[in-house]
Amino acid sequence: MPQMGVSVAEGTVVEWKKQVGDWVEADEVIASISTDKIDTDVEAPAAGRLEEILVQVGETVEVGTVLAHIATDAKPGEAHSSEGDSSSSSSEGTSEAAAALESAGEAGELQGDTAADHGSSVQEGAGRRSGGKRYSPVVMRMAAEHDIDLSRIEGSGRGGRVRKQDVLAYLENGGGAASDAPMHIESPYKPDEPAAPKKRKPRFDRADEPAAPAPAPAGSAPLSRMRQSIGRAMVESLRTAATCTTIVEADMSRVDVARRALGVTYLPIIARATIETLREFAALNATLEGENLTTYDGVHLGIAVSLGEGGLIVPVIRDSHELSVEGLAARIKDLAVRARKNELTPDEVRGGSFTITNPGGYGSIIATPVINQPQVAILDTEAVVKRPVVITDELGNDSIAIRHMTYLCMSWDHRALDGALAARFLRALADRLEAWPVS
Amino acid sequence: MPTMTYLQAISDAMREEMRADERVFVMGEDIGVFGGAFKVTDGFIEEFGEARVMDTPLAESGIVGTAIGAAVEGLRPIAEMQFSDFISCGFDQLVNVAGKMYYRQGLSVNITVRLPSGGGFSGGPFHSQNPEAWFMHSPGLKVVAPSTAEDAKGLLIKAIRDPNPVVYMEHKHLYRRVKGDVPEGSYETDFSARVAREGTDLVVIAYGAMVHTALEATADIDGASVEVLDLRSLVPLDVDAILASARKCSKVVIVDEANQMCAAGAQVAAVIAEHAWEDLDGPVVRVATPDVPIPFSPTLEQAVLPQVDDVREAVRELLEY
Repeated sequence: MPQMGVSVAEGTVVEWKKQVGDWVEADEVIASISTDKIDTDVEAPAAGRLEEILVQVGETVEVGTVLAHIATDAKPGEAHSSEGDSSSSSSEGTSEAAAALESAGEAGELQGDTAADHGSSVQEGAGRRSGGKRYSPVVMRMAAEHDIDLSRIEGSGRGGRVRKQDVLAYLENGGGAASDAPMHIESPYKPDEPAAPKKRKPRFDRADEPAAPAPAPAGSAPLSRMRQSIGRAMVESLRTAATCTTIVEADMSRVDVARRALGVTYLPIIARATIETLREFAALNATLEGENLTTYDGVHLGIAVSLGEGGLIVPVIRDSHELSVEGLAARIKDLAVRARKNELTPDEVRGGSFTITNPGGYGSIIATPVINQPQVAILDTEAVVKRPVVITDELGNDSIAIRHMTYLCMSWDHRALDGALAARFLRALADRLEAWPVS
Repeated sequence: MPTMTYLQAISDAMREEMRADERVFVMGEDIGVFGGAFKVTDGFIEEFGEARVMDTPLAESGIVGTAIGAAVEGLRPIAEMQFSDFISCGFDQLVNVAGKMYYRQGLSVNITVRLPSGGGFSGGPFHSQNPEAWFMHSPGLKVVAPSTAEDAKGLLIKAIRDPNPVVYMEHKHLYRRVKGDVPEGSYETDFSARVAREGTDLVVIAYGAMVHTALEATADIDGASVEVLDLRSLVPLDVDAILASARKCSKVVIVDEANQMCAAGAQVAAVIAEHAWEDLDGPVVRVATPDVPIPFSPTLEQAVLPQVDDVREAVRELLEY
């Protein structure tokens, strides 16, 4: 059972992709496993023949437990080396391959002399073939911005290297995934349909429809592991915390200009402003466990990422206070992309000191989020919409203007702080956003 | 608009400023009666007299020190080193006295020190150096290095008027080789970089004589669009212009005629590595003189100083990367 992060203690085998007797290449996926939050694959640390499966599907075992044996002296196409010799699982040619995964990140490096003797040459060859591609910083950045799978681009540089020009040409030819759903929409209000007086419909024509028949179940299945886990965490949070929600209105007109200039969504700027504000309000950058409140110097910012129907996950940007708006934008993007590919390690979803959730992209304008325990507050950013608001100039004259407005909703734990502090924090955050530098 | 050589443009700048401002005077070895080793001040003593065109002893420390004293008293001296190499004898006056005067005593040291620099004419190890990096490393001094006749005049006028000590690197090899239209009368050229040629695929960053080497090397290079950025000013260094070019082109070749170690180009490379990392599509490449004295032998000198072919090869390699 591989160590998928320092804090993971155990994992469950979800599926064996290879069966006893199958030939496996080094780094080939042999099994899927599941830990608290992350489902991931186990890759073969060496090429050989899968000789014995020691942990069956559904079993949960401690990190470091041997999952299977791979015979590394076997050759593809040859008879199974253990045929006629059932004791060969402990023979010289067998490596306790999966055990090699005990050391995090060193998958593919076999432990033990025997294994190294038999497996090293095959394994090195395979490693070079599979993972040899390197990309320049600008190519990596463009790929992240446009969500491009670089392996799909033919490189024209030396040795087939993908150059900036190759990425530009790929984009020009309509390559790249359909751009991501925006984190925020411009406005949920749509212009009225042009009036069509000739086809007037009754105002309440639903009332004339026959009553809906009793719903027939379309299917029934147990909740996924992730849904169960989310459900437990949410109920636990509401049972533990004295959850209150405070809402402050903010004028995002300057942020809107700034984000367009930078080519980012609202989120990284709100994140940056939140981080700066948290540095002034240490009581909100905290965790409460039992009677013990811990505050943090640095801000480890959780960002809720929707995984569609599967659920959601909250990757944590460690030391997020060290990142600029652009840096945050890149990290959020990276975490979101990897979250959706199921590639986060458990350590990337732990240790947050404050969380931002961002459902505004779907058009909602107010919500009451549930605190991500054991943190003491969660900020919910909602859609930025154009609204007429009253503006007072320096002479005290009022006028009505169309401004980019949003509600900053924060749920907080009344055990850890009081409403005045929550309001002061939100007001400071809103002030910061309203004065955001535009240049 | 008259056409002038680089050398004539330098003379013209000084003449304009001396005619317009009585505080401006020139001093140096053999600059008066003889008109200067390179004849930059030819005819000056006749026009302005001995009091404003001063022949000095062979004592660089004394020349710079005298200029500093005159500047503190309110004059605007222009001190010529016969060769930039000899400034080492005046190093203490320039670096420790002139550079720090304002910080220590709040006094402006409005001097311009002209350093005829660079190689390419078999001058040997004592007459071919490019010592600009010494002064870039010394707070309180400004350092400029024109590549064209127009900039030679505008930057020198700006230097003469600047209240700080300015080290003006004039490239000997360009004196009579570079010609161009030079506006009449008085004008200042900002201490900022200049795009010598626009391009999109790669930028060559250079200053002084190497701007011409870079332009020639990349005039026609497999149809690639190569930008050439002429730094013009080394202190202050135009970081915005450097980053703008690096970000646009994503590939950068930096050319120094100076010895490679800690040269101006090393600072440019550091700025790019730190601030334009995410826009780079290849390693930042430097072409510079290796860390040896400049040889006297013409063949060896050519082998040591960056040549058109060296730059072209580096550009081609990086373009293909």
